[in-house]
Amino acid sequence: MSASVASQPVVFQERARKALDDISLQRALTKARGGFVDHRRDAVDALPEFDAIRDAARDIKDHVLANLDGYLELYEQKVIERGGQVHWARDADEACRIVARICTDAGARTVTKGKSMVSEEMNLNPALEAAGMTVVETDLGEYIVQLAGEAPSHIIAPAVHKTREQITDLFHKHHSPLGYTDRVTQREALVNEARSVLRERFVTADVGITGANFLVAETGANVIVTNEGNGDLTSCLPRVHIVTAGIERVIPSLDDLSVLLRVLGRSATGQEFSAYTSLYSGPRRHDDTEGPEAYHVVLLDNGRSRLLGGQYQPMLRCIRCGACLNHCPVYGVIGGHAYGWVYSGPMGAVLTPLLNGFDQSLDLPNACTLNGRCKEVCPVRIPLSDLLLKHRLEQHDRRLTSVSGRFLLSAWAWLARRPRLYQGIMALPLWLLHRFGKRRGVLSRLPGVGGWTDSRDLPVPARRSFLRQWHARKARP
Amino acid sequence: MTQAREEILGTIRKSLAAGDPRTPRRLEELKSRIQDSAPQVQPYFDDDLLTRFCQKHVAVHGTYERIRKDGIEAAVVRHLTGLGLDTQWHTGVGPLLDATRWSDQVFVYRKCADKDTKVALTEAFAAVAETGTLVMCSGPAAPTSQNYLPDNHVIIVDSRRIVRHMEDLWAMLRTTGTAAARAVNLITGPSKTGDIEQTIQYGAHGPRRLHVLIVEEA
Amino acid sequence: MLFVRERFIVVETETKLPVNVGLFVTCLADLMRPQVAFAAVALLERAGCRVRVPRQQSCCGQPALNSGDRASTIDIARNVIQSFDPDDYVVVPSGSCADTLINKYPALFRHDMQWAGRAQNLSDKTWELTSFLTEKLKFSLDDVSYSGVCTYHDSCSGLRELGIQKQPRTLLSSVKGLTLSEMEDSNVCCGFGGLFSVKYPDISGRIVSDKCGQIVQTDADTVLGGDLGCLLNIAGRLRREGKNIKVFHIAEVLAGMANGPAIGEAERES
Repeated sequence: MSASVASQPVVFQERARKALDDISLQRALTKARGGFVDHRRDAVDALPEFDAIRDAARDIKDHVLANLDGYLELYEQKVIERGGQVHWARDADEACRIVARICTDAGARTVTKGKSMVSEEMNLNPALEAAGMTVVETDLGEYIVQLAGEAPSHIIAPAVHKTREQITDLFHKHHSPLGYTDRVTQREALVNEARSVLRERFVTADVGITGANFLVAETGANVIVTNEGNGDLTSCLPRVHIVTAGIERVIPSLDDLSVLLRVLGRSATGQEFSAYTSLYSGPRRHDDTEGPEAYHVVLLDNGRSRLLGGQYQPMLRCIRCGACLNHCPVYGVIGGHAYGWVYSGPMGAVLTPLLNGFDQSLDLPNACTLNGRCKEVCPVRIPLSDLLLKHRLEQHDRRLTSVSGRFLLSAWAWLARRPRLYQGIMALPLWLLHRFGKRRGVLSRLPGVGGWTDSRDLPVPARRSFLRQWHARKARP
Repeated sequence: MTQAREEILGTIRKSLAAGDPRTPRRLEELKSRIQDSAPQVQPYFDDDLLTRFCQKHVAVHGTYERIRKDGIEAAVVRHLTGLGLDTQWHTGVGPLLDATRWSDQVFVYRKCADKDTKVALTEAFAAVAETGTLVMCSGPAAPTSQNYLPDNHVIIVDSRRIVRHMEDLWAMLRTTGTAAARAVNLITGPSKTGDIEQTIQYGAHGPRRLHVLIVEEA
Repeated sequence: MLFVRERFIVVETETKLPVNVGLFVTCLADLMRPQVAFAAVALLERAGCRVRVPRQQSCCGQPALNSGDRASTIDIARNVIQSFDPDDYVVVPSGSCADTLINKYPALFRHDMQWAGRAQNLSDKTWELTSFLTEKLKFSLDDVSYSGVCTYHDSCSGLRELGIQKQPRTLLSSVKGLTLSEMEDSNVCCGFGGLFSVKYPDISGRIVSDKCGQIVQTDADTVLGGDLGCLLNIAGRLRREGKNIKVFHIAEVLAGMANGPAIGEAERES
């Protein structure tokens, strides 16, 4: 699994360029883009109450965040009441140590995992492997990227960047030694082969690790929403069940859960309801015939508590549906890996600098056209593009932007608030550009405008600006 | 570890404006918000519950048959024979299942499912009309694995236990004490995945087929 | 105060007295495509407005704001607020610049006792051109024609921050000879994003190339829009691809001024 790339600054542009040149990635992205958008729109159109439910969802999340300490305590009490244990982790390393210790104490050798973005955030797999465990991702998409030695490129569709041909190659390479020597290429056959391989893993695993879409304070349950059923097999078959979750996942009651579930599936995949929504609390009851003997919840802070009460607090409402990724024009052409960390698209561009440090991911808030489509589709009404703008203001205030950029900007701004001087000074370049370009109407090469002319022409400006023409005309009797 | 707990809760309290101390009274307020929790905005529909349930269940690739209480075995056999499968299955518990006397024609295993289980027959605690969802609760002799490991899942549900909205289910779970079950599984259609080229394939890890027998009293 | 002025204006319109409008030209129209501003003036005058074009204007400050430079934006905004003090309305032939004046300025001055009111005042009286013509003036075109199949690109700020979507289409529907052929995803960003297109040209270039693909699929011979930034971007890409599709600002078509060279087209030899 690729490690956190926070330590390698300023490679966003390179990664983006690589993504743009990657033909199979482009093919996969184009294929995925339309589907997600259309399905969501159909689901939303079919529910007249959608906007009212979105408001309610936002209000629930806001209420929880404003009382997060209290709800965490109430949730913890319930988990303990149900026989589970709650562990608190200040950062990713601490969380990894806790999980690794639980596994070691249980004498575990094989660990199955349901999809968990928080475990990606923790970079858990290498930590467990270092502790001698075999870790198997069981969500099909996660499994594919694990075989490829990559990180997920989408929070709900981890292997969205992989084409069927690439998956065929991966399965052939990794499953041949297990006796699956036929090279399968059809979707159905690929899914069946993975099903068959992973079944062995499910029934032999010692520990199952899942994430949590929600943690319900009312019952002490963690809620997982999947379509495959892998999260459930991970939760009910192994001896030990560990849940990793960010502290902001807690919600008050089951009634609140209904509200959030109604927006989650529709926003994520356009489903009214996912195939499996499960609530698990505590270990097996004393008379149960099945289920884990121990149930642990690892609550990860990792910088979240600091965001409360500040201008970025709305980001903690995020329910990780992926709608903002699916509707982002930038994500749509570069995919998730270019963002450099586990969270991508608009939510990643807001969250990554907040969790990893502003100076680590300077490009992310800037690599956005501020088109606002993310904000428009967010099920909990996070003003994502506004938050990206706040990031930019903060970068500028902290002087994290380039010196030359700041200088050019303030020189331009100085001029822009002296309109007459501005109009005078602009006259010369305007005249020059016009003279050079008027024959064709466009300039195909122009130094100093970044790479604008690498992929498009620049329409030539007018010979004289409007204001000069207008006022010259007015001056005439 | 307790240190991490205190530190995280401390940072939360500090971030959430210092002038607002988190008193025990406040915790009580949050507790009563949970206790008094009530349905909020719900999707409106006026179809009768059974019609809506069936319509939604079919929309997610499920199949169903409406039967009488004495027709359970025959319906299961019909379904399995139609699929060319042997008439043997793993089964759970529930008022309807417990009351059924199986004939010699079928083999019924009362145990957890394993990786090779072909068929499981389990009884739903309830069903939700809003989404076409079946609700399975774990308990003694009701292992969760029966809902996820078999290729074919047949679920029996008492038509009187179909509720309108999800919130009605929570109310039912609360009053029957079932909310304390280790697992409450909401199942809406068979297992599926879109992870290969965003195209739906059924039977990812869980059942490939989901068949519901709705038991209606005459 | 505001209420009184509003009423006064209504009375004026009813008695066909001119409405006093200040035109915020926008820096792109000023430098790149003066005809857009001339067209806006012509339209406003035909709709019964008395148009003033303050000399003391340049840019709304968006490049500074979107680069995170709050102080520079505030300086520029003050200048804009002052320049348009005398006008009853401010009209902007761009959704994104109008959004800056309408939504961003009040937020910038929220904690500035002295300027908050003035910024709000400017915000209250500022309109995007097509929305001012249709919603405020209930203006209907007659006698304008454009022969061609057009497709309309919804620019993001106008669409999402100001709700501009029907207004331009309403106006275009009364242009004789004009057929509207909607493109797929007309509400998806063209990849311009101001300085974004210069800072991230590769990404921006790919997005606009996808946009042009959708334009080409409509078989339209003309692309229209309400924001010059997007139109320069789209025209630049269409030209690079060698496509023979004209690009105009909607105001040029509505004012009957779309008979000369389109955006990015060569001037005709006279």
